Amino acid sequence: MDLLERAPIELKSWFLSLLGSFGVPQWILSVLSALLIIGTVIGVFLGLFALMSVMERKILARAQNRYGPNRVGFFRWRLFGLFQPVADGIKMITKEDLVPRTADKAVHFLAPVAMMIPALMVLAILPYGRDMVPAELDAGLLYFFAVGAGTEVAVFMAGWASNNKYSVLGAMRAIAQMISYEIPLVIAAIIAAMISGSLSPSAIVAAQGGFTWGFVPQWFVFTPWGFAACLVFYIGALAESNRSPFDLPEGESELVAGHLTEYSGFKYATFFMAEYVGMFAVCGMLVTLFLGGWQAPLPLLTIIPSWCWFLGKVCFVAFTMVWVRATLPRLRIDHLLAFAWKFLLPMSFAAFLAAACWHYAGRGPLAWFLSLAIVAVPYLILGTAFSNRFALSRRLYQFSE
Amino acid sequence: MICDFLKTCCADPLKLLGEWFVLLPAMVLLLSAAAAAVMRNLIRAALCLTLSFIALGIVFITLGAEFVGFVQLLVYVGAVAMVIVFAILLTRPDQLAKSGSAFSGLGPAGGAAAGFVALAVLLGFIFASPLAKKPLSAPVSAPVAAIGEALMGDYVVALIAVGILLTAALVGASVLALEDKQP
Repeated sequence: MDLLERAPIELKSWFLSLLGSFGVPQWILSVLSALLIIGTVIGVFLGLFALMSVMERKILARAQNRYGPNRVGFFRWRLFGLFQPVADGIKMITKEDLVPRTADKAVHFLAPVAMMIPALMVLAILPYGRDMVPAELDAGLLYFFAVGAGTEVAVFMAGWASNNKYSVLGAMRAIAQMISYEIPLVIAAIIAAMISGSLSPSAIVAAQGGFTWGFVPQWFVFTPWGFAACLVFYIGALAESNRSPFDLPEGESELVAGHLTEYSGFKYATFFMAEYVGMFAVCGMLVTLFLGGWQAPLPLLTIIPSWCWFLGKVCFVAFTMVWVRATLPRLRIDHLLAFAWKFLLPMSFAAFLAAACWHYAGRGPLAWFLSLAIVAVPYLILGTAFSNRFALSRRLYQFSE
Repeated sequence: MICDFLKTCCADPLKLLGEWFVLLPAMVLLLSAAAAAVMRNLIRAALCLTLSFIALGIVFITLGAEFVGFVQLLVYVGAVAMVIVFAILLTRPDQLAKSGSAFSGLGPAGGAAAGFVALAVLLGFIFASPLAKKPLSAPVSAPVAAIGEALMGDYVVALIAVGILLTAALVGASVLALEDKQP
């Protein structure tokens, strides 16, 4: 079992020592070592993206009582349509790449690249398993959000360079949404960092190790403040990765496809890929911060390697995101922003206070009760206020009429 | 001499690359800042300015100031660049062409002079500070925990004052935005 646990690391060092025995210089080995890690991480996540692109359609189809893609196979074997991503990839590469005549061509070309780079860079600090962090940074959490900030610039570049009204409107909506939801997202992340006393993701995972009474894992999600912060982070993550029900920057019914309107062929595919990889990265962060990272849920199950747990949890969170997409309708832009500023932000502050009380009240039963009260009371007040305000109010138009 | 240089290159190119890598983001920073100053297309100028913010963050990181570098990226790329871009988008181009900027009467020479005066003032303060008199010996390291303890200990009053200032700015901004809703 220990062998399987350390298999990726052992494999890499075995390969490098094999090369070293042939007299390959040390510096080539260290470059190769870095490239191997980068290649594995990118390969795994692009593979997950391919799988996700077909699984999402399958799950949505199941939710809507139809089959979904089930034709594409390998010669005679259909394999439930699992080869759909290959067909999609070939289609995307061979499609004509259209650039509008009035577009800002250089910026139009650079936008998908600028979108992809941060999505891949944030993968560097996630702890994929025990002792498996590509880049161990003291301020890893800060790195995650600092690099992720580049996405907003990329979305703006795409919207502006297309020289299309739908694109600009979509980009402005997307940026307004990303900036608004980034605040509750970051505050929810800070709560986990505050309780574990470190900004390093591996230290946050380590702080969630161990079991209460021998079988309840000490993940942050199993505390009142952690549960609230986890939900806030989850909603923020949905909005940051432009997923349904917050996908109105690309709302087909009003904006064609938002900032993606003028993109086709492989540039569109790059945007699509960057969005999914970014979604996996933010799911990985959610798992790291609140769902115990690579820790197993039961002492018995520690025989399964830690990296399997991490990937399994990430896939589960990604699955719930598809589930949400199949269930909830799209929000309106003013509801969306009001929800961020009037509900999520106060809730994240409440969770913050609850976490502080939990820590200073000794992390015992009293702390549990106190933090539960601090989270539940604002939730009930804000929730009733919101459901009263938005239930049967008349729609008021200020600018459009 | 050249032979020695080549020998060190072949022995450990990574170390050499590490030493020279510091210069690359600095050059990107200077070039993109210059491009931002001279470009006619406002949006492209703003994007160049964003690139120079990113390069400045990387310069900080390569110099060992990890925390400052990340905060530079988070605040300047994530927030300030977006504010600049929104300001450009919300300005009507016909007004912009008519009035020009407040400093457009000065011309390039006036702009350069103003820039040099600002640089001289900054350099004066930098060389007057006690930091400039310290010899540059060991590489500076600033662990995140130490920065956090300093912010929450010695500089806690300043931190809270900045927090109050930002909250006041936020409240002021929302009041300004609310005003046109009143009948």
